[in-house]
Amino acid sequence: MSKKVITRDEWERKLKDVKITKEDMNKLIMNFLVTEGYVDTAEKFRIESGTEPGVDLATITDRMTVKQALQSGNVEDAIEKVNDLNPTILDTNPQLYFHLQQQRLIELIRSGKIEEALEFAQEELAPRGEENQSFLEELEKTVALLVFEDVKNCPYGDLLDVSQRLKTASELNAAILTSQSHEKDPKLPSLLKKLIWTQNQLDEKAAYPKINNLTTAALDDPVV
Amino acid sequence: MPSSAVTNRPEEVTARLGVGGGAAQGEALLKALREVKNQIIGNKTKKLLYLQLGAVPKIVSVLAASVASSLGGAGLEDAPVIVQAAAAIGSFACGVEDGVRAVLDAGAVPHLISILSHHDDKVVDAGARSLKMIFQSKMAPKYDVLQDKNLNFILSLLDSDNENVTELAACIIAHSCETNEEQKALCDAGVLQRLVSLLGGSSNQKDACLECIKAVVKDNSEVSSRFSCIGNGKALKALSDLIQDRYPYTRLLSCKCLIAIGHASPSYVEELQIKTKLVLVLAELLEEPGRVGDEAPFSLKKLIADNEELHKQALSINVIEKLCNFLHMSSIQSRRLQGILLALSELCSKLEKCRCQLLSPQVYSLNLEVRVLDLVIDSLEHDCAEVRAAACICIRNITRSLKDRLQNLSAGSLSNEAVVIRLVQLLYDPSSSIQLVALGALCNIIVICASRKSVLIRCGGVSQLVRLSTSMDSTLRLKSLSVLRNFLFLANTTDKECILKELSLHTLVSLLNDAEHSIQEQALALVNNLIDGCSSVEHIFTEKCYSLILDAVTRQLKQASSLGVCIQGMFVLSNIAAWSDFDKDSVTDYLIAYDDNHKPSLAIKFLQSNDKSLRLASLWCLLNLTNPSSAGSSRRVTKLQTAGIIFQLKSMLNDPCSDCKLRLRMVLEQCTEFETSQP
Repeated sequence: MSKKVITRDEWERKLKDVKITKEDMNKLIMNFLVTEGYVDTAEKFRIESGTEPGVDLATITDRMTVKQALQSGNVEDAIEKVNDLNPTILDTNPQLYFHLQQQRLIELIRSGKIEEALEFAQEELAPRGEENQSFLEELEKTVALLVFEDVKNCPYGDLLDVSQRLKTASELNAAILTSQSHEKDPKLPSLLKKLIWTQNQLDEKAAYPKINNLTTAALDDPVV
Repeated sequence: MPSSAVTNRPEEVTARLGVGGGAAQGEALLKALREVKNQIIGNKTKKLLYLQLGAVPKIVSVLAASVASSLGGAGLEDAPVIVQAAAAIGSFACGVEDGVRAVLDAGAVPHLISILSHHDDKVVDAGARSLKMIFQSKMAPKYDVLQDKNLNFILSLLDSDNENVTELAACIIAHSCETNEEQKALCDAGVLQRLVSLLGGSSNQKDACLECIKAVVKDNSEVSSRFSCIGNGKALKALSDLIQDRYPYTRLLSCKCLIAIGHASPSYVEELQIKTKLVLVLAELLEEPGRVGDEAPFSLKKLIADNEELHKQALSINVIEKLCNFLHMSSIQSRRLQGILLALSELCSKLEKCRCQLLSPQVYSLNLEVRVLDLVIDSLEHDCAEVRAAACICIRNITRSLKDRLQNLSAGSLSNEAVVIRLVQLLYDPSSSIQLVALGALCNIIVICASRKSVLIRCGGVSQLVRLSTSMDSTLRLKSLSVLRNFLFLANTTDKECILKELSLHTLVSLLNDAEHSIQEQALALVNNLIDGCSSVEHIFTEKCYSLILDAVTRQLKQASSLGVCIQGMFVLSNIAAWSDFDKDSVTDYLIAYDDNHKPSLAIKFLQSNDKSLRLASLWCLLNLTNPSSAGSSRRVTKLQTAGIIFQLKSMLNDPCSDCKLRLRMVLEQCTEFETSQP
């Protein structure tokens, strides 16, 4: 089946015809900054572009201190802060609470406090597994870390990655946003996903200048 | 762990709580409260531990003291203590029944209510959140909205700027509003208007208001109609818009609201257009994860209940495929599975097309080797009782028209023994409602197909059915008897003998004499099926059996407790009237017998009935009695003549029922033959 071929010139011409307003783009950026919690940047952007954040920036600050505490590995501090912000969040999100406890254990293991880690696993994490069977698998993986000498290179070593902290931080951020009736996902990633999906669909029908690198957004010539 | 002067072990933290005595004060008390709060939030084990240590009454006493002192105009220090105490109390009430009880027993609610009017927003938030936790529990007291004072208080909460407070008000109303009177009082006070205006708020507020609206309008036609009139239909429009909200949960709640209004007062929502939209939205929501997808099939079932038009709509947008796709998932939540089975049952309750779709071997879900019906049958063994019951109902409805589709049986569907065996297992279920739906399903399945009958016998199903037919519960007696009756339909002699042996004469006679006439009727129908196809009594009963049964039958005919009983009874006599001369004579004697009060004989009475089925049954009987090929027919005709039966028949020549007319003429023809051939 021969596909239709669209040259770079044709493509760029078509793209030029699509109109997007600056206001819309600014709103997208503001939405991203607010959802991800970049308060200072949001404030500066508000001043420079005149785009309204749509939320009280003070609430973002609260959220950000929680996120930062977690990203620096101070899980207990993050828990206390989120409980100050809204005590119902962790009470109504058992999976999130489990992940936070799990992160506490990971941090104890990371800093080599094995005795404390064992005690914590027994006192705090084991009950979570009893309260809810669906946590058992992840629980076992985390506790298994205690068994290995070289933790970083063991089968579950990726739990010690910073990315794990970020994952939990993201989960916590989303829960806070939901409790404040905000959308928990920024719109920008969804747009990018849509772009990739659309290109995949078009791939079946045509050869055209494609964006393969989302960060540069460069148009690669059509493969004929 | 390094030792310190102050540890955080629950026993020691609890010791620091309270007012006076050994309790901590000031900053130390605040710290202790905060410590408890942070330990228990999200942690059921800790909550239970602190409950056992008696922490709740202590915390409530701290709250009470701080509130009193705060109202006395004193400390700014009070606010943080109140916030922490309130938060801890709210957390105890979250997800732990003992916690709710402890909080209620300690008298926390009035104090929490009093801080709702505090000047510090943080205090108000804390109080509102905690109260919301409490009122979300079934154990929370009902707020008496019939008292003016209370109603005004709720209204003032609804007017608040603070969303936590308005959400709380909505929550209290939804929890406390049960009777029509309460719903009306709330409606009269303008609560609905206020809730509708709050629908423009944040998404959490929307959801709280939608749940509340539903509670106020539910099953109340007056309030529902009044809701439809608010703002000349603007309120309804607001709900309709929300069924396309960006959040699935909001869409679901608004659907539920509209369905509730539609059921209570069919008017605006009666329009097919809006209902079709609801079907579409709910069909999409079926695929949402979590509680939205779990609840969507229940709402769908409610929406389309008994509405064939909507069943067709659902069919046309492939709802059945969507539902079936879930059935094959290995780890589906019980609640969702129950909902899906109930939704499928509803769809199969009326439309043959739906049933065919589920029975047809071509319908596979994603896994090509599994039939949908097999998945439903598997659910008969599910751990959860509600799922088992839903699976039974589903099978019962799928097999509804089975009797009419004998040809389709060879397609392999339902020839699987498993369904019979599993349904029989459910006959032993401790819940009688599950036994009943299992009986309903068996009733349909057992009618045709010899192989299923033999399975039923082999797995002990007949014994259990007979046991259930002597249950104290009359519905169980009735249903199990119906299964036995269906079993005997077109049964062979071996099967008949098996049933008789299990059932025993004694039980059969007592069922024929049952207090409930519906059961009498089924018992008579069972006897009919027993004797159907026999050419003489010896084929099926011993003489003693026969006379006892005939006694019971004739007794019931005389009592004539219901139309159904009479019709079935006459069928029995018709069948017997096809037997030997001797049998025909006894039937004749019986039909023409007078009692002392000169009431009309049974034959006359039934021939004069308004019900055509009864007339027809009687005519069949007479047809058999006057059969020319039988030696004694001539003397029987004479008897009938003397008893005025022939005269009665002649007066019925213009019977409105054509079937009756036909049989009538045949009887008269047969009788006239004898008249003319008399010497």
